[in-house]
Amino acid sequence: MARRYFHKAKVVTEDLQFYTVNPISNRVERKDIEQLLARCGLSYEEQIEAFVVCRDGNELVACAGLQKDIIKDVAIDPDYRGGAMSLKLVSEITYLAHSRGLDLLFVYTEPKNAEFFRGCGFYDLVEVPDRVTLLENTPIGIRSYCAKLARQRVAGEKIGCVVANANPFTLGHRYLIEQAAKACDWLHLFMVREDVSLFSYKDRYYLAQENIRGIPNVTLHEGSHYMISRATFPCYFFKDRGIVGKCRTAVDLLLFRNHIAPALGVTHRFVGTEPFCPTTNKYNTDMKVWLQEDVSKAPPIKVVEIERTQRNGLAISASEVRRLLRKGEMERIRDMVPPATFDLLESKYAALARPVTDT
Amino acid sequence: MELKQESLAGTLESSDLFIRISPSDEPLEVVINSEVGHQFGDQIRAAVVETLEMLKVTKGIVIVEDKGALDCTIRARVHAAAMRAAGVTEVDWEALS
Repeated sequence: MARRYFHKAKVVTEDLQFYTVNPISNRVERKDIEQLLARCGLSYEEQIEAFVVCRDGNELVACAGLQKDIIKDVAIDPDYRGGAMSLKLVSEITYLAHSRGLDLLFVYTEPKNAEFFRGCGFYDLVEVPDRVTLLENTPIGIRSYCAKLARQRVAGEKIGCVVANANPFTLGHRYLIEQAAKACDWLHLFMVREDVSLFSYKDRYYLAQENIRGIPNVTLHEGSHYMISRATFPCYFFKDRGIVGKCRTAVDLLLFRNHIAPALGVTHRFVGTEPFCPTTNKYNTDMKVWLQEDVSKAPPIKVVEIERTQRNGLAISASEVRRLLRKGEMERIRDMVPPATFDLLESKYAALARPVTDT
Repeated sequence: MELKQESLAGTLESSDLFIRISPSDEPLEVVINSEVGHQFGDQIRAAVVETLEMLKVTKGIVIVEDKGALDCTIRARVHAAAMRAAGVTEVDWEALS
């Protein structure tokens, strides 16, 4: 068997050819991929940015796609299963991801197919029974993350947690965090790390830091891949069909309940009521199921909804602030955000005010 | 050898191993998952750790998925991955003797 010491885009092993395909520009390859997926009972995922494919002569016999750090649409022609194809395919997709600067990779699969990936260096993160398993390509990813969190554990009977995107940080966020902190012995605040919002993660983190001043019992944490990220909660970041779309919020919430909450000793999760954004509203509703009900071996976490603050009869929301920002109505924003947010909006974002896609 | 970036070496194919090295400020952590771990686990670990010691890698995270590689393969893969992680392209043969 041909051995390979340096990664190349094209490698010949026996008669099989592995190479990378851009499905957006290469319609011929894309058509073959779609046919292979159909033969394997999978649907083509539009969001995939690159594929590794394998051809035996003219025939496309295997493929695996990459959407940022998520591996998708992995299919092997039934005639080529059971051999080394899976190992080769996963090696190739891992090198492809590495060449794109991505090393921590995730894969969603039906629980009955999870064994395939376990044999290829993937490890279970969370399973939603009968629906989906999320795996990552390291045996120590979530474990070392939780070990780091555990060092920031604070003793107490009632330990709260808030996970916020705060895009941007409003008086509503300040109110939620204040109320939550008052209600517990200690509060852990996590910022969503994914940089797909109007306000960059760096700015959102900075504003959280500035705007929680004066609250004595709160720790601000960096966000991670394991909380409301593209990997754990894809529907929040892109409209997804197929298996990833179906799992919706369960993966993210079970990961929180099974791993993150026990590391910090979290007993309560606080959330603001959500009158505007349907995705967030659904997340809040699902939270009560996946965090509180008997769906996991990990202890239940109480979900506490806090009514949104209102200004002139209107609930304050970050999406409303973004809307006003786009219209250039800075004065109306002043009433809805703390001074630190207003200063940053005025100095950095007001000039950028133009129609942007909302997240 | 100071690790600067994530690196990969090897494959998941039979008789090979897939190794991933990441820089870290923590003392060296080596995690090995092997199909033949119950029989050769100690020997595999020794080959990995000795190679890293020779290259003076003292910090970082090393994850090995072994598919039954021979010792010489293990050493070569670890060496390649460490060099890539350190951004080194010239082999220091003396360090290996």
